[in-house]
Amino acid sequence: MSKKRRGEFSDFHSPAKKIIKVQKNEGSTAFLTMRSKPSSVMESPHLIQQVAQKTPHNSITPKSPNITDFDHQKFKNIFFQTSGLETTKNRNSISDDDIDSEDELRLMIAREENLEKTTWSANEFENDPFEVVRDDFKSDFHKFHTSIGLGLKNSVSCLNSENNVMENGCDSDSGDTDEIVAMKKSSGKIENGVDFSQREKSVDKKTYLKNRKKYDLSDGCVKEQKRKNKVEIALSHRVKPLSCKSLIESSSSEDAGSVSESTECEGDKEYNTLMGNCLRVNLTLADLEQLAGSNQEAPKEKTESNGQETTAKHDKASKSQRTPGDLRRGQQCIHPEEIVASLLEGGENPRGKQKPKENTLKPKFQAFKGVGCLYGKESVKKSLQESVASNNINKDQISLKLEEPRNMSMGKWSLCANGLSNEQTPFQHGKEANDANQIQPQKRQSFASQSHKVVSPNSSEKRNRNPISSLLPLKDKKSLSCGAKTPSRGLDEDCCHRTGQSGEGSERRPDLCSSQAPEKPPEVFSRRDSQGSKPDFPLPVNSSSDVNAKDKHAEDNQKRLAALEARQKAREVQKKLVHNALANLDGHPEDKPTHIIFGSNSESETEEISTREQSHPGEELVKESMGRASGKLFDSSDDEESCSEDDNNRFRIKPQFEGRAGQKLMNLQSHFGTDDRFRMDSRFLESDSEDEHEEINEKKTAEEEELAAEKLKALNVVQSVLQISLSNSTSKGSVAAKKFKDIIHYDPTRHDHATYERKQDDKPKESKAKRKKKREEAEKLPEVSKEMYYNIATDLKQIFQTVKDTSEKEDNTPWNEDSDGEKAEVVQDTPALMTRDEQTGGFTFSFFESDAKDEKEETYRVEAVKPGKIAWQGDPRFQDSSSEEEDVTEETDDKKQSPEEVSLPEKETTRFFFFSKNDERLHGSDLFWRGVGSNISRNSWEIRTNNLRMDCRKKHKDAKRRVKPK
Amino acid sequence: MRPLTEEETRVMFEKIAKYIGENLQLLVDRPDGTYCFRLHNDRVYYVSEKILKLAANISGDKLVSLGTCFGKFTKTHKFRLHITALDYLAPYAKYKVWIKPGAEQSFLYGNHVLKSGLGRITENTSQYQGVVVYSMADVPLVGSHSIIKTTRTLCLFET
Repeated sequence: MSKKRRGEFSDFHSPAKKIIKVQKNEGSTAFLTMRSKPSSVMESPHLIQQVAQKTPHNSITPKSPNITDFDHQKFKNIFFQTSGLETTKNRNSISDDDIDSEDELRLMIAREENLEKTTWSANEFENDPFEVVRDDFKSDFHKFHTSIGLGLKNSVSCLNSENNVMENGCDSDSGDTDEIVAMKKSSGKIENGVDFSQREKSVDKKTYLKNRKKYDLSDGCVKEQKRKNKVEIALSHRVKPLSCKSLIESSSSEDAGSVSESTECEGDKEYNTLMGNCLRVNLTLADLEQLAGSNQEAPKEKTESNGQETTAKHDKASKSQRTPGDLRRGQQCIHPEEIVASLLEGGENPRGKQKPKENTLKPKFQAFKGVGCLYGKESVKKSLQESVASNNINKDQISLKLEEPRNMSMGKWSLCANGLSNEQTPFQHGKEANDANQIQPQKRQSFASQSHKVVSPNSSEKRNRNPISSLLPLKDKKSLSCGAKTPSRGLDEDCCHRTGQSGEGSERRPDLCSSQAPEKPPEVFSRRDSQGSKPDFPLPVNSSSDVNAKDKHAEDNQKRLAALEARQKAREVQKKLVHNALANLDGHPEDKPTHIIFGSNSESETEEISTREQSHPGEELVKESMGRASGKLFDSSDDEESCSEDDNNRFRIKPQFEGRAGQKLMNLQSHFGTDDRFRMDSRFLESDSEDEHEEINEKKTAEEEELAAEKLKALNVVQSVLQISLSNSTSKGSVAAKKFKDIIHYDPTRHDHATYERKQDDKPKESKAKRKKKREEAEKLPEVSKEMYYNIATDLKQIFQTVKDTSEKEDNTPWNEDSDGEKAEVVQDTPALMTRDEQTGGFTFSFFESDAKDEKEETYRVEAVKPGKIAWQGDPRFQDSSSEEEDVTEETDDKKQSPEEVSLPEKETTRFFFFSKNDERLHGSDLFWRGVGSNISRNSWEIRTNNLRMDCRKKHKDAKRRVKPK
Repeated sequence: MRPLTEEETRVMFEKIAKYIGENLQLLVDRPDGTYCFRLHNDRVYYVSEKILKLAANISGDKLVSLGTCFGKFTKTHKFRLHITALDYLAPYAKYKVWIKPGAEQSFLYGNHVLKSGLGRITENTSQYQGVVVYSMADVPLVGSHSIIKTTRTLCLFET
């Protein structure tokens, strides 16, 4: 959706596309478009008028249409948003305006979230009349939030902003487009704040609120812009477009109503929202009325000039006939005459309530700005805001930006001021009343989102603080406050009034009005705006009607607050209850008496207790309970002993239940249950029962025998049928085997069970002894036959001397004699060497030549190696396991025997370099080498394979043949 | 209601033995209790001892049935199995035939089973062997049948 919307946004550049989109939307959207278009057309004159009114000083009328166009576009966007399908786009577009300051807004968002929530909730309340829009907005917002992330929104908003700017530029026929753009930017900034708030709202998932907030914010922004614009109007045209925008917004709603009655419903809603805003304005107006009392003339003129527009709006509003209060407000505010009358009449009323405060506030005109600040953010930064306000007045755009932070601060203040809501001065009450109209819904929403208290008090407190503390920074703060807090309420109306007021000439007045004149600001304005008394007139008129509404609202607010307090108290009470209950669980003995503890012994105790209670119902109960608890917890030893005794008695084997008769008794007993009166004693044992049982058993056995006989017969038949010899015994045996017999538990103390013991043989001991012996034997070094030994000739030189020497040695044979001639072999070796040498005529060492000689000389002896030497026999230490003892011994025996058996006769064979001819060791290797006859074997192998193949095929075919006929 | 005579027992057992073979003795000599065959209205009932005692309290002419009817003796003193005996025969059947789902309904309507409808069959099933017919889901189907194998058609004749 977001992408589509984005793409649509791209389309948005041209208003026609928007219209098309709107057309695409449902009839409502079409209406909206219709409204927007006609409203744009209508608005343009209205706007012009408004602008003219607002900016009489500044001939902004030409610019106003452009501004109106911007506003229309924005409103269209808003309407689209209301329509729902493209509303998101519109919103985006709105947000786009804000996009410029998105970064700032983002920063602000975090700050403002809380504040905005509160403030916006108030604003949202103001927007409540746009119920239809709400629904659409919800969906749209949901879509927005869901589909697009904040960044996406920002991007979309940027696109929208661009689109809007483009549209604005397109729309703006006059050359003031730059100003308009600037205005848009400023408004966009404000809107950005709104968007942020919206985003925050979206985060809160209060789509309705968000939508409303957006409206409110947009309105508020517009108002702020208007205010700023108003301020700027004096300074620059930009102020006018802003005011125009605000006017356009209001006018657009009004125009929509005027254009089509069908659309009037929506317009009425908008108007209602606007009226709600107006109500707030009225409150301020009421204050202003008082102030205006002095400056009635100028405001009257302004109101008159505005009156046309306002009247149209009021007419529409009257048509819509929203809440009576709104109608009153709207009507009062709208009609200049009525406003004047209301101001004259109602000004007194509000004065009675608010005059003192207003008076106090009036001197604090700047405080009005502060009031604006008070709405959300300024209260905290009143001084700063004041200074900023002064700067803002000069620098409307800057002020707009600043307003946002102010709004943030306002939100903070609102949070802080939550507790102060109760302490609201009448102004506050009036504000609250104004707020109440809008705030009540806001509160509702805020209830959903936040606590009622916080929201309502914030608004009220903010307002209070604003008038009180920030009276001085009036204008900017007012505008800010209007944008922030009250914008939602009467921003539209305020804008109208403001426009009118601005038209009247006092920029501050519109600011004050925009600040929603909630109470103090208008008053302050009235004082300061001695000339701006005219706008004050409509305000007082509104205020007169508003006073009642305010009172009602104040009452409602008080009721709400009371309800909230009651809820909190109830929660606290519940928490306390829970805490107490939990604490009681920990075991206060006092609490225990209330608990009835059922124990095994409880019956007797309870009986006793009941008797005691009867005697001493009150006092002993606790004691008993105490005793119970304590006794059960700690004194249970006695009870346990008794219990154990009882249990022992219970679980003793009762002789009367032994045997079959006993079983019968047992059954009887089970019928009676555990009633002591019917306990079956041994007296109830029937001596005859056993006989009866025997008889019964005999009968049964007889029947069984019959059946068994029958079975035998059947089995016999089965045997005959199956021609199988079935042994009944086997069958019975099988049955018996299948039956589960008692397992004999081996009892070593019983001599009978000696049969189950596995007798240990004495062999293992013997085997151990044998094994030890074997180990010793194995450990013993093999006896080396002393018959063979090697005599090493010390004089190798002589042996390997040159031939000559050998010849000489031959002559000198005696060296052989010198060596110990005890063993013949050694002696033989030396002569052999001698002989070689002699034959070769010199010593030459060669493996091959020596063959013939050595073969005869040395013999290879094949001997079985003694087992003890063989490594693989394993370490005797590993033979410890008793189970293997016997086996090991056997093995060892075998091994011992083996050497004897294996002792092969020594074969003398010719020796060829470690191997002798026909060496037994090489017999096995025939498999690994192939002699010269390999070709023969290959041929034979091929022949064989062919024969085998033929045979296999034959057999396969035969098998197939056999299978086929079958 | 009376026990079967030896001749009746023999005839019946011969019939049953065609399907369950030596498993017949498991019916006669059951480890979980004493069961016996009783003849009532020419029908043979397989009754547990418990039921038998309870049924003894009812006069013969008022008694419709007891236990599980295994079949009936025809006037010619041949024994015909009833479908109710299938629950006892199926678990012990030595030779089984599984019929494909497609041929299942046809078989249940009384038609023969073609070789193509034969899903599975116990190996070494000889001709004229009594078999219990199962569906492929191992549900014993109507009755038990002797098998006749021709070149193309496997006929299951209900016995």
